[in-house]
Amino acid sequence: MITFEHVSKRYPGAANALLDINFHLDAGEMVFLTGHSGAGKSTLLRLILLLEQATRGQVLVDGRNLSKTSPRLTPQVRQHIGMIFQDHKLLSDKTVFDNVSLPLIIAGMRYADIKKRVRAALDKVGLLSKEKSWPLTLSGGEQQRVGIARAIVGMPPILLADEPTGNLDPQLSRELFSLFQQLNEHGVTVMVASHDLSLIRAMGQRVLVLSGGRLIDDIPAAVSAAAVS
Amino acid sequence: MSIKSVRRRIRARTRRQLYSFFSSLGSLLGHRLGTLMTVLVLGIAMALPLGLYVTLHNLRDLDLKQDEWGTITVFLNDEVTEAGAVEFARKVNQRLDASAVMISPDQGMEEFRKVSGFGQALDLFEENPLPWTLLVTPQAADSEELGARVTVLAAWIEEQEAVDIVQVDHKWMRRLSGLIGLGDALVTVLSVMFSLAVVVVVANTIRLDVGNRAEEIQVLSLIGADDSFIRQPFLYTGFWYGLLGALLALVLLSVSIFYLNRPLEQLLNAYGKSFELDGLGGLRVVFVLLAGGALGLCGAWVSVERYLRQLRVGGLPGRS
Repeated sequence: MITFEHVSKRYPGAANALLDINFHLDAGEMVFLTGHSGAGKSTLLRLILLLEQATRGQVLVDGRNLSKTSPRLTPQVRQHIGMIFQDHKLLSDKTVFDNVSLPLIIAGMRYADIKKRVRAALDKVGLLSKEKSWPLTLSGGEQQRVGIARAIVGMPPILLADEPTGNLDPQLSRELFSLFQQLNEHGVTVMVASHDLSLIRAMGQRVLVLSGGRLIDDIPAAVSAAAVS
Repeated sequence: MSIKSVRRRIRARTRRQLYSFFSSLGSLLGHRLGTLMTVLVLGIAMALPLGLYVTLHNLRDLDLKQDEWGTITVFLNDEVTEAGAVEFARKVNQRLDASAVMISPDQGMEEFRKVSGFGQALDLFEENPLPWTLLVTPQAADSEELGARVTVLAAWIEEQEAVDIVQVDHKWMRRLSGLIGLGDALVTVLSVMFSLAVVVVVANTIRLDVGNRAEEIQVLSLIGADDSFIRQPFLYTGFWYGLLGALLALVLLSVSIFYLNRPLEQLLNAYGKSFELDGLGGLRVVFVLLAGGALGLCGAWVSVERYLRQLRVGGLPGRS
């Protein structure tokens, strides 16, 4: 589903943010991306979301070579990816319902269907009762879950999350991770960038470890799971 | 691509248009004061050339009453008696290209008394100071020919012994039509300038609007909105601005016409003309509204396009 082949990313006037990254993610797989802050986790996600272009090498998402994708098709790529941001990126002048419905409106779905899908997504993250609330009246954890509802409402085949537990307490973080696991069990390819090592270890999933822009370890799920037990 | 999938895409596009349509209305109503001020500026900017246009349109209506303006007024010498006036009128009527109507001093006084409002003061004259007068109308097919005839005829009349003063309204009319021609050019110049102003005002307003909603645009772009989806609400907003501005301009114009109608009527009655000030007719109203909307659309397009280009070149801000 996601393949990196000798990918390097260099920002002008800075050291390599990513250097010769190689990995492959099958459809329906779940992977954690970890490393210290500045190790290149965010840059890697930004490459998948076409917020950046690789300086060298190629990124393939769902069989599409992103370095050869015309900018006109960027929206199409993004429509197939649900992205969860650390700072939620909710629109404060729209209600929770309106925020979550945006991807479906962009897709031009019928309002009746939008209503059903948004309710289902909000139900999934346990916020159905807050559909008429404004984002700023919600707690950080609730806002994060609204962001997740918006990411999954369009049922994208790929879900990316950038430090989703950044501001959450351990209890909420665990709940969030198990929500990702549930989604993964329904066939969604999930990639979560997080520096919360203890939590990642507890999940028993495949882990990619970045350090200084290099991929220094790729721990398969089996090994990871064995370590848990 | 199957017909079914084409149909589905058209339906999806329609729904997105509807969403943009309503969201643009919502954002206009959400900022009522700002919207009102912008529309006011646009309305005034559009009312000026429209007002001039309507004025010229009405003047041209006067212009069309050629035969009246083509008349030569001939005041005969004080010494000329009724018999002399009849003799002179016969002389004029003998020419093939003109006809004359006689006005006696008494008739002239009566008419002057009615129109001027000097009634009582005129009674102070012991005898009628007015001479015998002829209204000479040349025969002509069109205004070009009329102009030439009037000139020739006036010159001939001037040479006659019995004549004191020859007054040619046609000269006045030519000057008027010259002025109208100038006015036409002025309308064109003003229309172009004020259209440009409308585009700039809308462009600037939308630019601020885009700036205020930069965050929303970035989020939409992150979750897969394409340029057209981002562009649409702003284009609609620009269209509404232009349309509302044009509507306001028409209202201002109607109010002005209503206000000016009475004094103008009085003025023209003093010239012995009946007159009804003409506004803009149905089709022209539609045209003005559509043109306003189109100008607003242009302004919005300029601004949004510039912003989207910046967005593409500079990329989306965010952590790296």
